Amino acid sequence: MEFAASGDTWGVPGPTFLFLYLGAVAAVAVAAALHRRSLFAGDRGARVENLGAQQVAYLNGGDRLAVYSSLGGLRAAGAIGSAGDKTLSQTGPLPSGVTPLDTAVYNAAGRRIRAREVLTDQWVRSALDQLRGGLEANGLAVGAATRRTARLWGFAALALLVVGIARLFAGLANDKPVLFLVFALVFAGFVTVTLARANRIATRAAVDGMADLRRRHDYLSPRQSPSYATYGVSGAAMGVALFGAASLYSMDPAFAAEAEIHRTATAGGSTFDSGGSGSSCSGSSSSCGGGSSCGGGGGCGG
Amino acid sequence: MRRMIPYGVGIGWRPEIAGFVAALPGLRFAEVVAESVHAHGDLPAGLTGLRERGVAVVPHGVKLSLGGAEPVDPARVTHLAAVARRLEAPLVSEHIAYVRAGGVEAGHLLPIPRSREAVDAVVANVRRTREELDVPIALEPIAALFDWPDDELDEAAFLTEILDRSEALLLLDVANVYANARNRGTDPAALFDRLPLERVAYCHVAGGSAHDGVYHDTHTDAVPQEVLNLVAELCARHRPPALMLERDGSYPPAAELTAELDAIAAASGYPAITRAGA
Repeated sequence: MEFAASGDTWGVPGPTFLFLYLGAVAAVAVAAALHRRSLFAGDRGARVENLGAQQVAYLNGGDRLAVYSSLGGLRAAGAIGSAGDKTLSQTGPLPSGVTPLDTAVYNAAGRRIRAREVLTDQWVRSALDQLRGGLEANGLAVGAATRRTARLWGFAALALLVVGIARLFAGLANDKPVLFLVFALVFAGFVTVTLARANRIATRAAVDGMADLRRRHDYLSPRQSPSYATYGVSGAAMGVALFGAASLYSMDPAFAAEAEIHRTATAGGSTFDSGGSGSSCSGSSSSCGGGSSCGGGGGCGG
Repeated sequence: MRRMIPYGVGIGWRPEIAGFVAALPGLRFAEVVAESVHAHGDLPAGLTGLRERGVAVVPHGVKLSLGGAEPVDPARVTHLAAVARRLEAPLVSEHIAYVRAGGVEAGHLLPIPRSREAVDAVVANVRRTREELDVPIALEPIAALFDWPDDELDEAAFLTEILDRSEALLLLDVANVYANARNRGTDPAALFDRLPLERVAYCHVAGGSAHDGVYHDTHTDAVPQEVLNLVAELCARHRPPALMLERDGSYPPAAELTAELDAIAAASGYPAITRAGA
């Protein structure tokens, strides 16, 4: 009893703890942002202008969107359709000049597999590996190892979150005010989640290039209800690549629904960008922290 | 009357085919539905691109209801004038038709009777519209499957009187001329002899299809050879400064649109706009 009454939780005054704690969380966020900036920088000279639609789709939404882009192109060419029981079917010859991924998807359709199982088809997987390898070698995509490295920062943030939670319980047991600590924990939780979800694929160079591609292909945006018949096979594939699965629904809603296309498949982790989002609220340690200075001892003991 | 410089072959800009239009290397003339453009907000990206290239973009109104018995809605006139300024358009265009009456929206362009009373109403509405416009207005007669029983004037006299009195230009829809003549069993080219062809600001060229013996000016089918022949016939008499492909739906593959634009170029004698340096 006398230990608790003697004052600060863990012997550190509340405001001091809060100040140090927020400083540590902010430091992790900034260090992670800097590290990720270099991890995801890519090759500055790398260009996306000459990429095929499926490569752009992979950068924008990973394996799934690359396959959707292929489905869109093959569908626009009249090469594939859905057979009615959610399986794919071949409805015409394979167009000339297609990619290995198109060939793999077309062959998978010939085996009447379900559309959502195309991603796990052995030949499709191998075509995707090839596509991915080329983009990673060109400095446009980051590999799985790099993404894992980036996610390690999530553990640092998680460790701080655990410390903060321990402090919260200790403070509560100590009858200290903890409101500001709770705010700090919310901030630490946000940083942890953000860092742990570092699943973006495209490098900075690719993201910049794709923003430009999207502007130049604005006419393929589903908002314009583009005439895919006019833009042809390559337009359909590029529309899906740049604007996501919504393009497939806009092009051929019956096929997209039958093939169980995920409507939201687009823009894979590119929203979780680097950038110093931690800085703004780190200075809010202010006057009265979690541990607090108004302990029970003092002169009023009688 | 201000003389328009020749623009050659153009196309109706629609969001659905914006990418195709943007990629036409020789394009100098396009038309956009006026009601689809914000007077003050952002222009559609495709239109901005055309303007930066120096392509003339003409706002084409469809809801002014110039042929209505009541005066045109001032707000709609203001919008048309603002869009014209926004696009720095050399002119605007509207239809000789009505789309609402007594507060009821028809949702379609409806033909007006060819009476002197109707001429007075149209002329009054065109004057009201021109008061706000900085540029000339071209009027487009519409295709009609029937004639009103109390028509006092024939098509040519009706149009000529409206143009003379309102000092407007003519937007001649060659496909309409073809459709009207075919459905009435008259000679389409005969109308050309009686219209003031020097007042034609530009022409619409569109496709259609026949159902049960009646030809419909659909804008969603291919341009028939007969319409192209009529384009050649018109240009032999007096070639308009611009002729544009008007397609409003069921857009075909790019190659078909390209072929139609080239066919209009060939029929009119203007250079093809689908190839660079052509």
